[in-house]
Amino acid sequence: MRTPDLSGSLLPAIRDAASLSQALDLGYRQVLLERGSLLAIIGPLASAARRGIAIFVNLDGVEGIAADSAALAFLATDLGFSGVVSVRPHLLADASRFRLRTVQRIHALDSTGLETGLSSIVAPAPYAIAIAPGVAVPQVMPAIREVTGTPVWGTGYITTTEQANSVLAAGANVVSCARPEVWREFSPVAVRD
Amino acid sequence: MAKGAIPPPTRGRNVDSSVSRLREGFGRVPVAAVIRRAEELPQALASQVPAVFFLRAPAFHLGPLVWAVQARGKMAFVHIDLIAGLGKDRAGVAFLAREIGVNGIITSHSGLIAAAKAERVVAVQRLLLYDDLALPSALNALDHARPDVVEVLPAIIFPLVVDQIRARLSLPMIVGGFVTDATHREAALERGALAVSTSTPSQWP
Repeated sequence: MRTPDLSGSLLPAIRDAASLSQALDLGYRQVLLERGSLLAIIGPLASAARRGIAIFVNLDGVEGIAADSAALAFLATDLGFSGVVSVRPHLLADASRFRLRTVQRIHALDSTGLETGLSSIVAPAPYAIAIAPGVAVPQVMPAIREVTGTPVWGTGYITTTEQANSVLAAGANVVSCARPEVWREFSPVAVRD
Repeated sequence: MAKGAIPPPTRGRNVDSSVSRLREGFGRVPVAAVIRRAEELPQALASQVPAVFFLRAPAFHLGPLVWAVQARGKMAFVHIDLIAGLGKDRAGVAFLAREIGVNGIITSHSGLIAAAKAERVVAVQRLLLYDDLALPSALNALDHARPDVVEVLPAIIFPLVVDQIRARLSLPMIVGGFVTDATHREAALERGALAVSTSTPSQWP
């Protein structure tokens, strides 16, 4: 795929123009639009994508776009976004046709729900699976690895640096987090300086 | 389970489906057994748990399982969202309450809570904690639906949000979801949960 890939293990979850610029100011080259209206910040998002920032969109959380092929084509072709996140297998299958990276969200609420989610993993394998809540990753990683070797994201209820680190230590490749104080701790700029 | 051991249908109104009975039971043993397959039931029946939660059971073969639970003096709850073959609507709720005679219904959907309360069974609404950003709207939905009991999942999140929940709701809470050892159970009970629900048989007292 020609769109930018991920460049680090912390993925700032943003919801508006302010949080987008905050993440970019901290040196991040990747964001997840988790909530809010995509259309309200379409200009800044498109311009970030043109500058090589990897933009992922949570299709189940954002407002302003439909969950259909027209919306996926727009994200992929017009905006140059890198990927989408959803719990809906059909939507992800559609997204892969537009060469978007597909991240299948799976709820880890109880063992029954997790089994159902894991058994619905799309074929071909998604780019990643996103476990929600992310803080459950240490508890459920063994069950996940029994069925798939797909990269794992932790997303939801990761509010401190300690939680982010423990989710990564448990084997997650990426954690998404909406807290700027955690973004600062993981900031790629601070590492480079 | 021998077929001859199955008692006749209780037909709903003959069973005590009160929240106070549930509170009393959990006062003695604060654990509900979650059953996902019929083979798991005998161990739950033999345990001290006062309530059994059926997940994923087939609707039209559920009766004997429910009646076996009630014959042991336990309360039987059914998770209607995951029951194969049953409409997730008023008629589905009425079938479970009147024909099967369940003590309570578990659902994530506010719309079914009203139906369960109308049928005078215990209405348990699930609070699914997968995303901190979704919590405020989930609490609004619960506040509006007014279930008898809230089932909070997964257990690992409960201590992080219990104060936020209590600030909005004064409902009894059952904590479930990956309650696989005593640490999880004690953590939930210490923070004021009425009980835990678990499908791990070693956690059924």
